Amino acid sequence: MTVTAGSAGTAATSTTPARVLDEAQLGHLKHWDDLSRRLPHDWSLMQGKGAGEDDFGSYRFQLAYMVYGLALTHRHRLPAAPGLFRPTIQRLIDKLLMPDVWLYWRDVSRGGMVMNAHLSDGYHEEWDPVVRDNIMYSAYVQSCSLLHDHLFADDRYAQPGALTFEHWSFFWGGEPKRFAYDRDSLNEHLYWQMVQNGYLGIACEPNCVFQICNQPAILGFRLHDVITGGDRAGEVVAGYQQAWADFGRLDDTGHYNQMILEDSRVVRPNALQAPWVDAWCGALMNTWNHDFVHEHYPRQVADFLEPGPDGTIAVRSTPAMEVMGQTVVNDTCDLGWVAAWASEMGDRATLDGILAHADRFMAPTWRDGALYYPRNDTENDAEGHRTGIEPMTGNVLLGYARLDVPDGLHELYQHPWGPEHVAEPALTEVGRDVEVSRAEVVDGVLHARLRRRGLDADGTVVLGRVPDGARLRVDGQEVAGTPVPEGLRLDVPAGPAHDVELVP
Amino acid sequence: MSAPTGRPTQIAFALVDHTGRPVTLDSYRGDWLLVQFGFTSCRVVCPRALTKLSAALDELGPLAEEVRPLYVSVDPERDTPEVMRAFLTASYPRFTGLTGTPAQVEAAKDAFRVFARRRPDPDDPDGYAVPHTAITYLVGPDGRVARHWPDTADAHTVASDLAATIPGRPST
Repeated sequence: MTVTAGSAGTAATSTTPARVLDEAQLGHLKHWDDLSRRLPHDWSLMQGKGAGEDDFGSYRFQLAYMVYGLALTHRHRLPAAPGLFRPTIQRLIDKLLMPDVWLYWRDVSRGGMVMNAHLSDGYHEEWDPVVRDNIMYSAYVQSCSLLHDHLFADDRYAQPGALTFEHWSFFWGGEPKRFAYDRDSLNEHLYWQMVQNGYLGIACEPNCVFQICNQPAILGFRLHDVITGGDRAGEVVAGYQQAWADFGRLDDTGHYNQMILEDSRVVRPNALQAPWVDAWCGALMNTWNHDFVHEHYPRQVADFLEPGPDGTIAVRSTPAMEVMGQTVVNDTCDLGWVAAWASEMGDRATLDGILAHADRFMAPTWRDGALYYPRNDTENDAEGHRTGIEPMTGNVLLGYARLDVPDGLHELYQHPWGPEHVAEPALTEVGRDVEVSRAEVVDGVLHARLRRRGLDADGTVVLGRVPDGARLRVDGQEVAGTPVPEGLRLDVPAGPAHDVELVP
Repeated sequence: MSAPTGRPTQIAFALVDHTGRPVTLDSYRGDWLLVQFGFTSCRVVCPRALTKLSAALDELGPLAEEVRPLYVSVDPERDTPEVMRAFLTASYPRFTGLTGTPAQVEAAKDAFRVFARRRPDPDDPDGYAVPHTAITYLVGPDGRVARHWPDTADAHTVASDLAATIPGRPST
């Protein structure tokens, strides 16, 4: 293993006609793959400042947005490489189902959050992490499993019990806890919670309905519609618009209302003008509400940016809240969320400035070909430049921002792949040692750019859905792949990246 | 203890129909029930929904005889049986109105997982409205929800779905 500090290589990532990933993008994908392969309960590099997995830097968000980032990369940049993304997404979903990720709900479900302490007598300890409220977790299980099944035309998570939450401890906890769902039953369950809440949304912590955390559920409804038919997403969006019309999606200052309290119907604005509130909400809401989000973005984002030297741009954070004599510990991930938002908005200048800031002040680190920005709890350097960074930003969001494309989520939502996509030739298996920087079908020809990393023995790919009589070329020279039931297996040669073509 | 999950299945209610007769699900056992929640002072959603559903039943023809349309109030303080009878017989005569005590109505809402919540409305003579779920439910003769439609489903869609779901009586 080698760990080096240095530049990410390039702050700017251009979308070239050939859709070839650059070094930094490849580094983020490698890091996500590495994190997905951690042994159970090994959360190295992912631990944030907060305890108990109940804040915004939690494992669930890191895991889910790695899945989202992989989905966006597959959808927009490497559409002919399902074999690269599918196993990684499956491993990340496996981790998302682990009790380490959702056990916080047993405690948070009791409703003792500071602003809801008066309601706690009405709530009880709930072990099932998706059955009531907790949309900040359940919607990610729903949407990630549906992203998988949509992108890979698979019914993996439709199998009974495919999304099962289990926990048992020899040392405490009594009877085993086991809650079995699948993509359809979970989707149905969330839908009816939406109905019963008048489409206002499902609460995160009890009584707190965040705009942000209901957006992934809407994406999930849309994907479920795509897979199974119907228009639940359209129904929910129409109901959501109507329900929030009474309160306004934006607060008096033009920033996104953060949440509404179910019992009092009191809206909590983004009173502190916290960047993460607008950025997270705006990036996700762009799925179905493109014009509204784009209209308000320029003015909103301008309130958060801090120009720095040489075109770098930092993102300010609000001071930590003081409540009951305590300082609230929370990974706000402001810089990461604004980067992700700028990427989705197609705001190249802001995105490049933020990435340049991260590369200059946030210690980009390469580790066996993987790129990340390690957690740093020191908020500023001696010159006042922002250095503080959370695992959610350093592991996930900066990579997500580099790999998304303008309106990437919007396009995923509005123009999902149809059955014709999974009929095209593709890299259906990718060995761990193979780096894929290009994989797309252009005019019927599968183009791939592959490189051996030299870190692992598995250096083969399988080209599937091969048309009869198709010819395989490596760097322009015709080669014979090894026939396998799925298509042709190719042993990727060592050395620099190779251009592979499958010509019908 | 867990919250209910998924589509409502445990349909049960104890209400009063618009003639003042106490009714439960068993009162209609064996019928197909087309159930819409609402309130008679509703100015937009309910008139639109009841008009649409009446049109759907018209389109259904003789098969509509198999369907008992029910309109369940979410505003029991105002919607007495007499008020509901007057409202429905005047404009939506296919429908039977159901109401009850606030507790009875609340239980019916929970059974169908319906949302309704009173809020101030300066345009209402009484100063409030009751925004509510506008989903239409079809309950089968076995007392289970067979399907449902969002507010956006048009009359023809509802009629087509009803025709596809409800077996006609054998001709004699």
